[in-house]
Amino acid sequence: MADSIQLFDESTQRKLEQLILRASQVRAGAIKGERRSNKRGTSIEFADYRSYVPGDDLRRVDWNIYARADRPLTKLYEDEEDLAVYLLLDGSASMDWSSEGGDPQHQKFLYARRLFAGLAYISLVTNDRLMMAAINGDQLSSFGPARGRGFGVPMMRYVGGLEARGATDLNSMLKRYALRTSRPGLVVLISDMFSPQGYLDGITAFLSKGCEVAVVHVLSPDEIEPPMAGDLRLIDVETGAGQEVSLDGAMRDLYMRRMTEWRDGIRMDCARRGVHYVFAPTSTPWEKVILYDLRRFGVVK
Amino acid sequence: MSFLTPLALLVGLLAIPIVLLYMLRLRRRETSVSSTYLWQQIVRDREANTPWQKLRRNLLLLLQLLLLALLAFALARPYINVPAVTTGQIALLLDASASMNATDTDSGSRFAAAQRIANDIIDTMNAGDQMTVIRVADVPEVLTGYTADSAVLHNAINTAQPSNALADWTAALTLAAAGGASADNFNVLIIGDGGIGAASEFPPIPGDIEFVSVGRSDANLAITALAARGLPGQNPELFAEITNYSSTDADTIFSLSVDGALFSAERYTIPARGKLPVVSSALPENYDTLQAALTSPTGSSFVDYLAEDNAAYAVAPGLGTRNVLLMSTGNRFLEQVLRSLPGVRIFQGSPDIGLPAGDFDLVILDGWLPNTLPQNDLLIVNPPSSSSVFTLGEFTDQTSGIHVRRDDPRMTFVDFDAVNILRFRQIEADWAEPLISAEGGALLLAGEADGRQIAILPFDLHESDLPLQITFPILMTSLLEWYSPEDVFDRNAFVVGEPVALRLPADAQGVRITLPDGTSREMPLQANPVFGDTEQPGLYTLDLTHLNQTIDRAYFSVNLFAPLESEITPRTSLTLGQIEITGGEEEEIGQYEFWGWLALIALLLLLIEWSVYWQRTRAPIRFRSLDLQSGRQKQPGR
Repeated sequence: MADSIQLFDESTQRKLEQLILRASQVRAGAIKGERRSNKRGTSIEFADYRSYVPGDDLRRVDWNIYARADRPLTKLYEDEEDLAVYLLLDGSASMDWSSEGGDPQHQKFLYARRLFAGLAYISLVTNDRLMMAAINGDQLSSFGPARGRGFGVPMMRYVGGLEARGATDLNSMLKRYALRTSRPGLVVLISDMFSPQGYLDGITAFLSKGCEVAVVHVLSPDEIEPPMAGDLRLIDVETGAGQEVSLDGAMRDLYMRRMTEWRDGIRMDCARRGVHYVFAPTSTPWEKVILYDLRRFGVVK
Repeated sequence: MSFLTPLALLVGLLAIPIVLLYMLRLRRRETSVSSTYLWQQIVRDREANTPWQKLRRNLLLLLQLLLLALLAFALARPYINVPAVTTGQIALLLDASASMNATDTDSGSRFAAAQRIANDIIDTMNAGDQMTVIRVADVPEVLTGYTADSAVLHNAINTAQPSNALADWTAALTLAAAGGASADNFNVLIIGDGGIGAASEFPPIPGDIEFVSVGRSDANLAITALAARGLPGQNPELFAEITNYSSTDADTIFSLSVDGALFSAERYTIPARGKLPVVSSALPENYDTLQAALTSPTGSSFVDYLAEDNAAYAVAPGLGTRNVLLMSTGNRFLEQVLRSLPGVRIFQGSPDIGLPAGDFDLVILDGWLPNTLPQNDLLIVNPPSSSSVFTLGEFTDQTSGIHVRRDDPRMTFVDFDAVNILRFRQIEADWAEPLISAEGGALLLAGEADGRQIAILPFDLHESDLPLQITFPILMTSLLEWYSPEDVFDRNAFVVGEPVALRLPADAQGVRITLPDGTSREMPLQANPVFGDTEQPGLYTLDLTHLNQTIDRAYFSVNLFAPLESEITPRTSLTLGQIEITGGEEEEIGQYEFWGWLALIALLLLLIEWSVYWQRTRAPIRFRSLDLQSGRQKQPGR
């Protein structure tokens, strides 16, 4: 459990155990899971009555009502089902970034892996079908499918061993992964969204498979507000490309305005497609993203 | 326009290293970022939208080059030729007399106007010109020696203050002439209102004299005299004089305060260039000080430009306050002589009744002695018996060979050559010294015994012709003077700037003089100190103190009373002895340097350059990220 201790502590783990991942738009689980389905089924939770029609299981007729009302009514019960959960982590080199002299806990990749593992842990505890994948350049390092607590330790080991490297084309990698999915489910993408080739096509590929998608946008504080100044040559750690910038007050303001526009653009794109968008600067506690932000969208309950 | 130090323009060559440094500096620092995704977009947008962006990038270089150009230009000391009043070796005499307080100029007072003119003249001095500044008041004062440093000269001019006194032009011109004896192009420049007087005793001036006149009005009212005279037995009389120096009639209210309380106020009209005497005999009998003031009646159109001469002060004359008790069975000579002396009030007592009670300055015992001598100062004439302080001897008629001690100040003017005395008694008193003696012994002894001053005349006045001689009142006056000296001052009215000689009593422990403005000065305990700090007109209080307690108090007044100063009509020309000097024209060519303005602009540019640099490099402020945090909560749709 060494890796799990590194990623999150026991009290967080207990909090996570009480949660459950939900996908309101996804239909039909394959096997019985631990979640209430909006279909009626065979659990012990009473849901509703309906008139008896021939062929109904006689065991479900409410005889007390029949005795009183002289009319056979059949009891309906809630169904329980499982959910296919696809967790995707952007493992490009740009994720391996922490602000100079800043809190090491704000390192983007560490933060993203914590979210990644936290969501996976919830998924395992609730008996969902979990599939995990980290995107490194044009490679995918996958984990799963896995189901049940028993996979907790291997999952943690997998997440702890992940590395951020390479330049990622989110669009093509998401599309590739979407092709491999056989079952609609909940897709959570954790990324900094620095993908010059875009991400929308990839997300659309998941949506067309009937999946419900949530995007967790992770950024470091110094990416939101750059601390440097002067005549600089900025080197992209992902691509190695240089960009000359004379960074003064006006330029910084311009960058920050552009940054806000960019985030707003992603949010609008997501909203239009029914994709949940959560902005998570690494200066906010990562549990809060799960316990508060994702919960608001109903992705976590 | 020319340059005084054109070589300094070479400083402009520093532009080359600046440009080189700028080119070197443009090597950009490499910094890693997680992604240049957004930066690329911004730079693309910005360069597309603002074509002048490249120019802006070089703004710092432009500013620095401009700054350097200005500095080089300023260092080269550019100047333009301007007309000047005078150049060369200049002795600037700044009139600081009382009339320069007149407020008939745009700058406020005439003195302020003179300062402004002097500052302008300093600005047009040529390179190599030197100037000294002399403030001409009651005592001329060299504010700065010969210097070409305009900052020093400006400072000397700007810190000078006008005085309330009459200016001593002869001394000032002598001072100025002394400095210019060896100079080639020596000029004396007088800035003032021309109230210089008609004195002919002016020293020869080696160079030219220029005169710049300030002031434009003659409207002034002044109190030119204030005095009170008191005669024993009569009410004191006041005499004042109001003078109108202007060419129009003027209304004024003459108010008189006695001991600080308003006593009377009356309105007078003084004709143009006329005088109005004010005489009053209704003053109260006992008072210390008088203060007269002129104020403008409401609604009067007359503007009095000089306020300094609108107040005058006087002190009550010393009245006969020496109380002398004469104990005699009848001595017409003594009575007569005491009556004739000023400032003596005689009380007479009879030996039959004994000594009366009362506070006497002097007790004269004539042919009679009480059992115990009183503790007052004593003049004992013809003592009938011995007493505790002396022993009486036999009568002697050896009255020839009278000798008067001439070295004693009490015996000044006392002449006993023609005095004949029938007989006198010999006296033994070791505390006394004989002031007049004959062959048979002392005829007059004086000294201090048991803390009082005692003089003894050991003969009956009726048995001599002394009372008939002219020397008798002189002797009595000298003795009285010795018993109780007069006031601490010779007089109690002085003009501004006049030193006051004090005569302190021998037992004075401390002397404090309080000035009209409330400040006080402790005087040194010398025999005859001189108080010279009489720059302020007003009433001065002198306290004789002992252990910080005032034991005696006296007043003296200091007034302007200077027709030359109150006559504020500005002159356009001056007459110094035989020379007539007309108002100065700007006939010469001076150099006006303006490097100071260039330096100022350079300083502004430096500030702008700093601000631009700061804008470009300032690190972000931490709290902005906090704003962002809190702002997150408010984002719409979240």
